[in-house]
Amino acid sequence: MNNLVFGKYIPIKSPIHDLDPRAKIAALFVMIAAVFIPKSWYCYALLGVIILGIVLLSHIKITMILKALKPTMFMMAFLLIINCLTVKTGTVLLSYKSFVIYSDAVLNTLFIVVRLLLMIMLTTILTATTKPLDLTLGIESLLSPLKVIHFPYHEIAMMISIALRFIPTIIEETMRIMNSQKSRGVDFEEGKLREKINAILSLIIPLFTVAFQRAFELADAMEARGYVPDQERTKYHTLKFRFKDFLFLLFAHILLALMILSRFYL
Amino acid sequence: MAIKFKSLSYIYDEGMPYAHKALDDINLELVEGKVTAIIGETGSGKSTLVEHLNALLLPSSGSLEILDREIVAREKNKGLKALRKEVGLVFQFSEYQLFEETILKDVAFGPKNYGISEEEANDKARKALKLVGIDEKMFDVSPFDISGGQKRRIAIAGILALEPSVLVLDEPTAGLDPKGAQEMIEIFITLNRKQGKTIIIVSHDNEMVYNYAENTVLMEKGRIAYCGPTLELFNNDELVRKYHLLEPQLVSFKRMLKEEGFKVPAEIRTIGELAKYMGKEVRKR
Repeated sequence: MNNLVFGKYIPIKSPIHDLDPRAKIAALFVMIAAVFIPKSWYCYALLGVIILGIVLLSHIKITMILKALKPTMFMMAFLLIINCLTVKTGTVLLSYKSFVIYSDAVLNTLFIVVRLLLMIMLTTILTATTKPLDLTLGIESLLSPLKVIHFPYHEIAMMISIALRFIPTIIEETMRIMNSQKSRGVDFEEGKLREKINAILSLIIPLFTVAFQRAFELADAMEARGYVPDQERTKYHTLKFRFKDFLFLLFAHILLALMILSRFYL
Repeated sequence: MAIKFKSLSYIYDEGMPYAHKALDDINLELVEGKVTAIIGETGSGKSTLVEHLNALLLPSSGSLEILDREIVAREKNKGLKALRKEVGLVFQFSEYQLFEETILKDVAFGPKNYGISEEEANDKARKALKLVGIDEKMFDVSPFDISGGQKRRIAIAGILALEPSVLVLDEPTAGLDPKGAQEMIEIFITLNRKQGKTIIIVSHDNEMVYNYAENTVLMEKGRIAYCGPTLELFNNDELVRKYHLLEPQLVSFKRMLKEEGFKVPAEIRTIGELAKYMGKEVRKR
């Protein structure tokens, strides 16, 4: 449970931590678009260097990023197999009886793998350098123009922030119930299928009970403090968009523009 | 035999920027067959310490000796399930572990995990439930339909049904009403006196600790500040002041009596004993 790296905030100081969450979220989307546009390896070399540069600036350990990439390995291997079986263009790399691997299959997979890698690196940078609360504040602020079409942006942001806030609590609760059941002789690692199902049941039922109880308690606590969803609210933390945030966002846009141009000239 | 911690340390989230050393070079001997209390402020490492006793947490460094087993840091430790039967650990707010359809089934769940027959497990469950004062009429009720205090009793029965020789309780009385708490403690004390079980209780209730625990371990910031007889800790004004301990009422009362010229013996630890002694003294005058 402790190896959940993806989406974990790392509480250190860095120039990237310091940026406005709105700038970071917007820049993330722009950069992801930039990652999916080019067709040339030169562009990917450039993107790779720039994104690695941002990782270095954010003071996140490279090993942490690698850990976040681990779960995607299986998906990438799967992609490679599918591509090898379906893509029939390019030169022949390898042939065994009726089974032939074409160069485009490998190339296509490499493109997807590199794009995914860069995308995961970008999202890891965002979640590792932005507090969950700031993240939701940012989302709320970015969604706020949608109020013209009566989009419940505040409620959505509140839901996200509550969900994010309770992830560690639920993990903690899971660990505690697991430990209680281990103390009663439940073995979560070994055992036959029947025993395993029983073990999982002994974890899930109490977990659901606790989760519902927490939800009701939270709802009561919010009501007791006078929370009304559709009321205009003031904020304790306000976001400030500074010049460096503007620069960062501008940089992301320039990158996107370059990648679009590359489609025409490279 | 004793339970021995040998320069044991435990670090949460080792290797991460927010790593936290919860136990720092603990050397400790807990005597078997006695009632030992573990006290200390919140966050001083009490719960982390007791979670080592049945190997739910494995030491980051150092080792732990318990019931002919040695658990050493960074070694493969096998057969922990067997250890967990002998060292029963009741968690804080243990009522959240209930999940079966009936109370009896829930309590029998533990013994059944150790591969005994359904009947035998039910027998053990019935015995454990009687011990914690749950009426036979309630055995077939769902554990979700009863009060919080009763849930706690059932969770404790779930561990007692394993018949452990060492019983570790992490704040077993937190959130119970005073009468329920008193009854609960008396169950554990009886288990100690009649069956010789080792009882280790983490507690914030210094009154209870003073009344019942023979030995006390005081923890401060992941280290052992005091380990020894309970009376010597609470009767020592200097230690009480140094560690900001809440003085048991009986200790204050005894001091007041001493100021009035009564030579109250130090080993008096309950209000009953004190009343008896004072009765005699007053009659003498």
